[in-house]
Amino acid sequence: MEIRPIFSALMRSKVSMILIGLQVALTLAIVCNALFIISERLDRMNRPSGMNETDTFWLGSTGFGQNFDAKSVQQADLQLLRSLPGVAAATSVISVPMSQGGWSTGVSLQPNQRTSTASTAMYMVDAQGLSAYGVKLVEGRDFKPEEVVFRSMNDRGIPVSVIITRALADRLFPEGGALGKQVYYDNEGPPSTIVGIVERAQTPWLSADFIENSTFVPAFIPYGSFTRYLVRAEPGRRDEVMKVVEQKMIEANPSRIIGRVRTIEQVRVDGYAGDRAMAIILGAVIVALLGITALGIVGMASFWVAQRTKQIGTRRALGATKFDILRYFQTENFIITTMGLLAGGVLAYALSLWLMHSFQSPRLPWYYVPVGFVCLWALGQLAVLGPALRASRVPPAVATRSV
Amino acid sequence: MLKMTHLQKVYRTHLIETYALRDFSINVREGEFVAVTGPSGSGKTTFLNIAGLLEEFTGGEYRLDGVDVHGLDDNARSRLRNEKIGFIFQGFNLIPDLNLFDNVDVPLRYRGYGTAERKQRIEESLGRVGLASRMKHYPSELSGGQQQRVAIARALAGSPRLLLADEPTGNLDSLMARGVMELLEEINRQGTTIVMVTHDPELAARAHRNVHVIDGQVTDFDDEPKLRREPGIGSRESLQAESVSP
Repeated sequence: MEIRPIFSALMRSKVSMILIGLQVALTLAIVCNALFIISERLDRMNRPSGMNETDTFWLGSTGFGQNFDAKSVQQADLQLLRSLPGVAAATSVISVPMSQGGWSTGVSLQPNQRTSTASTAMYMVDAQGLSAYGVKLVEGRDFKPEEVVFRSMNDRGIPVSVIITRALADRLFPEGGALGKQVYYDNEGPPSTIVGIVERAQTPWLSADFIENSTFVPAFIPYGSFTRYLVRAEPGRRDEVMKVVEQKMIEANPSRIIGRVRTIEQVRVDGYAGDRAMAIILGAVIVALLGITALGIVGMASFWVAQRTKQIGTRRALGATKFDILRYFQTENFIITTMGLLAGGVLAYALSLWLMHSFQSPRLPWYYVPVGFVCLWALGQLAVLGPALRASRVPPAVATRSV
Repeated sequence: MLKMTHLQKVYRTHLIETYALRDFSINVREGEFVAVTGPSGSGKTTFLNIAGLLEEFTGGEYRLDGVDVHGLDDNARSRLRNEKIGFIFQGFNLIPDLNLFDNVDVPLRYRGYGTAERKQRIEESLGRVGLASRMKHYPSELSGGQQQRVAIARALAGSPRLLLADEPTGNLDSLMARGVMELLEEINRQGTTIVMVTHDPELAARAHRNVHVIDGQVTDFDDEPKLRREPGIGSRESLQAESVSP
């Protein structure tokens, strides 16, 4: 290998080497951190909500008129929904995971506890609630129809039976045995007993630090004359059922408006729109940076090939094969890229530290930089291949040409 | 050592054919010092390029040290060039970003010699041209004559059988030219065959034999070299050919 003489020659024209090296260094630092942020966002976007998202949808019913009775309309609507072919379960809800809006409260282990033990989202459901959400009950039992209470917005206290997520149970009772224990959702109210534990049900807020803490409560609380229904269709029949449900609901009660009929998959798409946008923008930045770096290498290598045509011809005349010339330029690029990458590695970790201190982002995993090394080495070798092949085709007779 | 028989080199475009060499025959024996002369455009450089395997020919036969070079692929030509031929160019063709050591090292690396052998050969060949003490210098720090000496050292480092020189003193003043010429004569005396392209009759006169080329053909040559005392070049003896019409 000709590493030493190539390196010595490069040291005679430092500016070009420094410029390309710097470009490679910045690219590595930014690409590693941007890729890590994208990977984090993708992980967030792929978190399971705990729901059956494929077969479920929700819709809103807004009544109007002075005599509109939310309770009786809700009972009639649920009866209608459950009677429709293709509907597996239906319930009235306030919120669903990923919808970014809902109720939350603190849970305490003692009455009048000064600081609550955990925060939780509250999902008001009836006896078909767990089935409509499609969450998996792992301990205890589901709600009984007689446990479901009708409440107004101003009523205090929480029903005596609740079902919580495994994460909330672990938080409240780290030693285990949450089932059957009593907890307090209202400092002044009576305690609620945990009658069931579900595997997972995320909160509606995607950025909440208690995203896995949810509580299902057997209650119906109309928001004025607005009620939301969550419907789970039989597998594969969601879209078909959605059309029928909307039509039948309007026919059953013309004194209200049916709207916001949306699948839970759409709710997920909307909920993670910001993360998706961030991933796309950072992805575009990465592609642009890599493209600019590759073009920089191509440009510089092309310039060097043009500048050294006579030198290449001389090397060929002195016995270099085409492959020797190709290898020369590939090695030269390898040296420059390696120097840039060494600086870029340090820069990447420094940038990660700055992001940690400024934005509380997690530390860049160590393996991003070595993987970045390999990728940028490959990019550099690929970028220089065209000019290097052009150089290898310089005929040896160039050595004897006077112009 | 170098034998071309009825060699042709034709450059073809879709409109015209240009004969750079036509029915070109030459036989350079081992140990000879042959000068190839002729006016500009006569085909001297084409001959040198073909002789040095830098270019291919279109007809005839060329044997280099007994090897028929026709049909050799690019790698084989590169290898043969590297092993058998040393080049000296008019413009020296040193690599400006490499010091003298690394410049002389270039053909040796392509030969695949180990580090120790390369170092020994470089030191020997630079010593032979009187530049052993300047190994770490760069070409730009040397005079033209010294640069050509480095080029000669580079050509000699691989112990070639044949040295091809293209106007080796063309870019030098007369004093430096004289020094370079004396060095070439010394190298020839030590057994290396030299073919030198020049348009300088004074230099050509110092070769064993002159071959004159016009319009791609050998028009004038002296087949049998003669030894004669040459006044004006100190007390050295030199072989010089007297041109005889074929």
